[in-house]
Amino acid sequence: MKKTGFLYDERYLLHDTGIYHPEVPERVQAVYNGIKAAGLLPKLKLIQAVPADLQRIEAVHENRYVRRFQTACQSGDSMLDSADNQMSAETYETALLAVGGVLEAAKLVLRGEIDNAFCAVRPPGHHAESNRAMGFCYFNNVAVAARYFQHEGGINRVGIVDFDVHHGNGTQHIFDQDPTVFYYSIHQHPSFAFPGTGREFEKGSGPGYGFTLNSPVLPGRGDSEYQRLLKKDLLPAFEDFKPEVIIVSTGFDAHIEDDMSDIRLSTDAFTMMMKQIVDMADRYSGGRIISVLEGGYALERLPELASNHVSVLLDE
Amino acid sequence: MFVSRSMTRKVISIDKNADILEAKEKMAEHRIRHLPVVTKGNCLCGIVTDRDIRSAMPSSVLEDPNRAKSQTRLKKIKVSEIMTKDPVTLSPQYTLQDALLLIQEKKVGAFPVVDEQGILKGILSTRDLMRAFINVLGIGEPGTLLCILVEEKIGQMKKIVDAVTEENISFGSILVARYWEEGKRAVFPYLLTLNVTNVKKKLEKLGFTLLDPMEWYLDQLPKND
Repeated sequence: MKKTGFLYDERYLLHDTGIYHPEVPERVQAVYNGIKAAGLLPKLKLIQAVPADLQRIEAVHENRYVRRFQTACQSGDSMLDSADNQMSAETYETALLAVGGVLEAAKLVLRGEIDNAFCAVRPPGHHAESNRAMGFCYFNNVAVAARYFQHEGGINRVGIVDFDVHHGNGTQHIFDQDPTVFYYSIHQHPSFAFPGTGREFEKGSGPGYGFTLNSPVLPGRGDSEYQRLLKKDLLPAFEDFKPEVIIVSTGFDAHIEDDMSDIRLSTDAFTMMMKQIVDMADRYSGGRIISVLEGGYALERLPELASNHVSVLLDE
Repeated sequence: MFVSRSMTRKVISIDKNADILEAKEKMAEHRIRHLPVVTKGNCLCGIVTDRDIRSAMPSSVLEDPNRAKSQTRLKKIKVSEIMTKDPVTLSPQYTLQDALLLIQEKKVGAFPVVDEQGILKGILSTRDLMRAFINVLGIGEPGTLLCILVEEKIGQMKKIVDAVTEENISFGSILVARYWEEGKRAVFPYLLTLNVTNVKKKLEKLGFTLLDPMEWYLDQLPKND
């Protein structure tokens, strides 16, 4: 059994996306309730969020962008950069808490107080570019955590696995030229899904060439195609790279009941996938994993998906 | 929409008196496959392609002594001897549609662009056209493509545009595929959003069929063609 942290903070409910928006506070409530109902809370080290230092965020995002976001939010703008990114007065603060919470989890992992953690944050992060909000995301939580591990933990090689059904364009672009951060994503093929990037031939550039790997999946394909691609692409790539810590962009939106995609993954497929990630972490990373919530919109399925996810991290 | 806006202006050309080794090196250096051939005053008189040059070259498997001999001989061949004379050209005022139709008809990979005096102004290659159409498709911007099967009658597109607009979503592009089944067309709106759940439901409520992505095709040639 592992020592697993769980980040949840009621202030994550404050970021209000308005009506007819799928990225709602009920998502993280469903995640929390699922983990609670499964009786897992007593087994977890509960983590409280603190706002992130701007210095940490600016290791990834342009200072100009951070100020633009803050100003827009505080002057009452209802969106940032596109209509997908609806804001309320609390959005900026909530985004700081999302990053800050993930960094708290990272700190505990670095200190050895926990082996791994699941961070039920919102807003999500993997579409956020260094200078632009996109696809419900403001700050790239995962990218900031990767830099934190490198700057504070003396870690050289960070491996990111992104199984949200949408390609994490922000994370990929931030580390495009960087051979010290390996970005792997499995997602619905970009010709059939947002954001239109993450094609097989995108492999990084300059010194980062070969440290980005994408497995696009055609619509309608389910569990067996995911298993095939993970074995063919992810496992050998991480065996070569040997990440010292693994950060996971956890999206549950490839689930068959999630209407954000046409990928038809079963509930068990998520468990299998996470087990493979935990195995890799045991082999290469001393078991260290930070899993950060991205998408996942089927409110009825999230409780079970989240509690299964945490059970795998606990390795009971 | 005009050729003058999409063509490559800094066109690499070659003098008609140059030898073909020089032409070969120029193509390799600039990684291009078409070289407009010009006389004094940059007046277009022909075009050479990498294929023209390859056909004029001896086989690379020839023995070295022979090769040296043939190299000297090649230096005597001028590009004007192997070029295509009077190539199909475009005027800067042609549109991209003109260029597309001509490329299909003439089966060439690039057109020199010349003004009324025959002076070389640029070159438009399939690569330039691709770039223009990637822009038209809007796929450089993040978004989601839908495919809606509609009956071929007036007013269908208005309903789709209204539904999308009511959701406060911007369009990257809209494509219409003809040659679908009889009396039907497929409409492909590229929507600049991640949030298509509601608009999909709305379109279904309006009676449209959203096609399974694996059944999509942008281009199907008419039968009996």
